[in-house]
Amino acid sequence: MNHRILLIAAGIAGAAILSAAAPARAETVLNIGIAAADLGTLDPHRAATTQDKASIGWMFNGLVRFKPGSMDPEQIEPDLAEKWEASPDQLTWTFHLRKGVQCNSGFGELTSEDVVYSLKRAADPKTSAFSSDYTDMTDVSAIDPYTVQIKFSKHQPSVLGLLTNYQGGNIVCKKAVEKLGEDFRTKAAGTGPFAIAEYNPTQSITLVANKKYFRGAPKIDKIVYRYIQSDASRDLAYSSGEIDLIYGRQDQVWVERMKSQPHTIVDVFGPGELSSIYLNTTSKPLDDIRVREAIAYAVDRAELVKFKGALTARPAVSVVPHGYLGTDEQAPLLPYDVAKAKQLLTEAGYPNGVTVKAIQTQLPTMLNTMQIVQAELKKAGIDLQLEVVDHPTFHAQIRKDLSQVVMYSAARLPVADVYLTQFFHSRSIVGTPTAVTNFSHCAMADKEIDGARAETDLAKQKALWKEAQDKLVKAVCAVPLYEQLQVWAHRDKLDFGYKLDASLTLGPIINEQTTLKQ
Amino acid sequence: MLAYIVKRLLVAVPTLLAVLTVVFFFVRIAPGDPALVILGDQASQQALASMRHQLGLDQPLAVQYVDFLGMVLHGDLGTSLVTKQSVWSEVVKVLPFTLSLTVTALAIGVVLGLPLGIIASRHRNGVIDYAARFFSLTGLSFPAFVSAILLLLAFAIELHWFPVISEGRAGDPLSSLRALALPALNLGLIMVAYVMRAARSSMLGVLGEDYIRTARAKGVPARVVIWRHALRNALIPVVTVVGLYLGVLIGNSVLTEVVFNRPGLGKLIVNALNQRDYTMLEGMMVIYAFFIVIVNLLTDLTYGLIDPRVKRQ
Repeated sequence: MNHRILLIAAGIAGAAILSAAAPARAETVLNIGIAAADLGTLDPHRAATTQDKASIGWMFNGLVRFKPGSMDPEQIEPDLAEKWEASPDQLTWTFHLRKGVQCNSGFGELTSEDVVYSLKRAADPKTSAFSSDYTDMTDVSAIDPYTVQIKFSKHQPSVLGLLTNYQGGNIVCKKAVEKLGEDFRTKAAGTGPFAIAEYNPTQSITLVANKKYFRGAPKIDKIVYRYIQSDASRDLAYSSGEIDLIYGRQDQVWVERMKSQPHTIVDVFGPGELSSIYLNTTSKPLDDIRVREAIAYAVDRAELVKFKGALTARPAVSVVPHGYLGTDEQAPLLPYDVAKAKQLLTEAGYPNGVTVKAIQTQLPTMLNTMQIVQAELKKAGIDLQLEVVDHPTFHAQIRKDLSQVVMYSAARLPVADVYLTQFFHSRSIVGTPTAVTNFSHCAMADKEIDGARAETDLAKQKALWKEAQDKLVKAVCAVPLYEQLQVWAHRDKLDFGYKLDASLTLGPIINEQTTLKQ
Repeated sequence: MLAYIVKRLLVAVPTLLAVLTVVFFFVRIAPGDPALVILGDQASQQALASMRHQLGLDQPLAVQYVDFLGMVLHGDLGTSLVTKQSVWSEVVKVLPFTLSLTVTALAIGVVLGLPLGIIASRHRNGVIDYAARFFSLTGLSFPAFVSAILLLLAFAIELHWFPVISEGRAGDPLSSLRALALPALNLGLIMVAYVMRAARSSMLGVLGEDYIRTARAKGVPARVVIWRHALRNALIPVVTVVGLYLGVLIGNSVLTEVVFNRPGLGKLIVNALNQRDYTMLEGMMVIYAFFIVIVNLLTDLTYGLIDPRVKRQ
């Protein structure tokens, strides 16, 4: 009698355990490893680092968006806005919003009120790191709950570019910002396919799928985005299968090694971050154009690309990166010619060579480039002295105009105006109240840059940009070196759902079309 | 005894204030702009100025110092410039991880290192001694992050005994232990090397003393000679080494924390430095200095336990 009761009890217990252990449907979880110590911020108007930009790309939308997998401004498509019109003078734009778009984390429907709030927030220096993009935006107003009107005081080279799912164009939900306050940093709510569910400090964030996403529920249920600072640990975590999408290294060896791993696809995609050496044209001996030309002739771009690896780097084509709207792909960059460099130095009065000093960051990828440049310049008799400091010090000191030579690496919104303005317009000269990153103190292309900005005809605009680049290249304000592409890798059971050629978020876009086989 | 402890702690207060002051001025005078780190390189001068104002960095240095001193004297270590969380709460979050790692590494170091050192001293110049000394030299010379990766390769990749990345959630003791094992082993093995050397040389010194010779001549069994007579006398230098390296362990743990992706004070300090998170750095230096004070106190108390001749003033 007792035996039977025991057996029945065991049977029931066993069934209960089995049914509890087997879920109705296994959750699809995508584990990602990124090179970072911790979350910086989930606020799209503040996010400046790769790790934050990549994850924000899965959480927010803009009025318009770059086609997933592309950064071509001529392929911008509707996102939160279904359609839009511009006034003939291109200064007033009206956007018609989709209806029924929900803000994540229960913050209600997105209406024009949120869009107005978000754009104003993006334009405010107190709340946004990207406010300078919107200085000409004079008015944003809600015409009705689904219509937004934006007015500009001056013609913008790309209005749509300012309103894409990039930096300030990401739309945040007003109620979320107001309710969360400081907590918005770790609990930011947008309208995107994924929403923040949990933050485990220095370890990871967990995002869950937004089942009500207006383009359709994502097929991936959860993303665990792991902050793994150590490259070696991250690689090991990928080898052991603990992560399926890994942030790589802009390094030939890494790419080759990953390619040889089973079931692994390496992603090398744009934007290419352009590394250039900016020469302070007001500082002796660089105030002499012959010395600057000598430096340009002494730099061997091909050797640098070979060092970085052709799989992840390509030679620079101009003072702005390749493929931007307005880039002169055949800018007259000076070729490699050591003899010519020596000759120019002699003409300039330095037959025995010349010394220039650079404050240089200790960041290994930037330092090793400069060490190679240093060796190349030495062959022409140019002694490039490097004062190596830590990264925050480097950034602070170059902005105080303390360095004759500045090696800088950057990508920007893919419209030539942004790069030209920030690096080559006189307004942006370092050490001035309106400073951005003009380390060369060049001002000769101001007219063309301003002209292109105001020009409404695209062909004329491109011509002006070409002329600006031409002038800047001839004046050797900078010596462009190479562009480094973004490098990630993923297991082949993950399918992004689109072709990844470029992503301004610096990471793959994971959206409702992305699938992960179990 | 209690009075002694309280007195030691009170004497530490001026030391902590001095550390605070030095750190405060050093980090704020060093080049580097927290506002730039937080906002990134596309921020306008206006945005940067606004951020500096929000962080209180546009005040004169002396004013900032007085403000900060006032806060600290009220028991408030301030808020992180980057995360806006209180420094104390950030430290408290990682403290259990650091303490468990340090204590476990210490335990491994002493439990393995002490007997090894004793055995090596007994079989001087024998095979065991050479093996132990070789191992110790390797342990001292090996960079912590290299041994960490080797451990991962062996135990996580080859043997699959541990995951590469383990979060060790607070509520789950088993996962915490699993997450602790390899990092503690990494630091522990380095500790073994130090403890073993100290124990060996100390024991050798003691074993050459007259009273040991007398005890042997009297016919006292070898085991009693070692464990009852020699060991206690040999322990003082070992305790010194352990106390010294306990402080070093906290600082050196950052490489282990990074490779094993484990939260900890070391990582917190290094990241605060890279981000120029001034308040975080100041708060953490004070806590770290306080920690050293406690360790020194514990070391002195341990001397008293081992050697009754040590008189407390």
